[in-house]
Amino acid sequence: MPIEASRTRYTPVAQALHWIIAALIVTQFTLAWMAEDLPLGAHKLSLLARHKSFGMTVLMLAVLRLSWRLFNPAPPLPDGMSKIERFLARATHVAFYVLLFAQPLTGWLMSSAKNYSVSWFGVFTWPDLIGPNERAFDLLKETHGLLSDVLFAVAILHILAALKHHFWNKDDVFRRMLPFTTTEKQ
Amino acid sequence: MMNSSRPLGLLAGLAVTLLFTISNDALAAGYGADPSQSRLEFTGVQAGADFKGVFHKFTAAVDFSADALASSHFDVQIDMSSEDSKDKDRDQTIKGPDVFDVAHNPTAHYVTKSISKTAGGYSAVGSLTLRGVTKDVPIDFQFTQAGGGAKLEGSAKLKRLDFGVGQGEWKSTEMVNDSVKISFSLLLKPNT
Repeated sequence: MPIEASRTRYTPVAQALHWIIAALIVTQFTLAWMAEDLPLGAHKLSLLARHKSFGMTVLMLAVLRLSWRLFNPAPPLPDGMSKIERFLARATHVAFYVLLFAQPLTGWLMSSAKNYSVSWFGVFTWPDLIGPNERAFDLLKETHGLLSDVLFAVAILHILAALKHHFWNKDDVFRRMLPFTTTEKQ
Repeated sequence: MMNSSRPLGLLAGLAVTLLFTISNDALAAGYGADPSQSRLEFTGVQAGADFKGVFHKFTAAVDFSADALASSHFDVQIDMSSEDSKDKDRDQTIKGPDVFDVAHNPTAHYVTKSISKTAGGYSAVGSLTLRGVTKDVPIDFQFTQAGGGAKLEGSAKLKRLDFGVGQGEWKSTEMVNDSVKISFSLLLKPNT
């Protein structure tokens, strides 16, 4: 059910999902960088086990977030934005949603292809999506890496845009996603 | 010459009859596993998720008769370098010095000491020699006659660290559980 405040601010649920997923993505990059150049060993396996568990968490939260958004649309962009700015904002957000699904899915496929099933924090094991396949693994690994570069670039653009809105345009685009604040236009 | 050969022949005949009787009574039938239709695998737990490996090369000499358990017996030799978990990085580690150490321990050997009947099938106690360590490992199995041969299916559980499978960083059970499940399905063909 749409909440009245959602016209100028994101709902508390949307805010929570945004910041939890943002923190998880930072964690994911950190774990991946730490594990990347390690030889196969207990340390690498332990880092990747956490990377997989967090990644599957992102996938579950992405499902939740997209469903929430369907029933609670994002507040409209401020009036003063140009056509190109509107397009960029829209493209960035679409890219985020695609990546929030594509990254966990390519990661999951990668694990299946290498015959390392994905456990969720040791609580349960996700089913393998495909059978062991070395060529598929190499391809998926490349895709997963490439998408992480795209995600990194989109995130930088997103952060810069938020800061620009806050400090340059001095509108409420940044604040409306910030919990425990208010926006003037309420 | 003629006279002395007669009691000898009789004795030989008696011996053959006796042997035949004994083998019919108490000797289990001998089989060998058909490698193309047999499977020997293990399931370990790594970072909370199961992973499976198979041994492509092993030999199994099985003497078994349901009514001659005392003389029933398995002897299984496993070529440890034939281990395959469908990931060459993991296989390299598993065959390496810290895990199977196949360079120094190329074969594992399982030989039964006793076999008994259970509610669901049979149970064997045997000694497993793995990575140079010999310990008793019980296995549960079922034996079913099929065509001219037989099917032998079963499983066992062991603790890898009992055999020193996992040295150095692999000694920890945080990433790889101590408990490993073994399961097998062998198609047995009678010895000729």
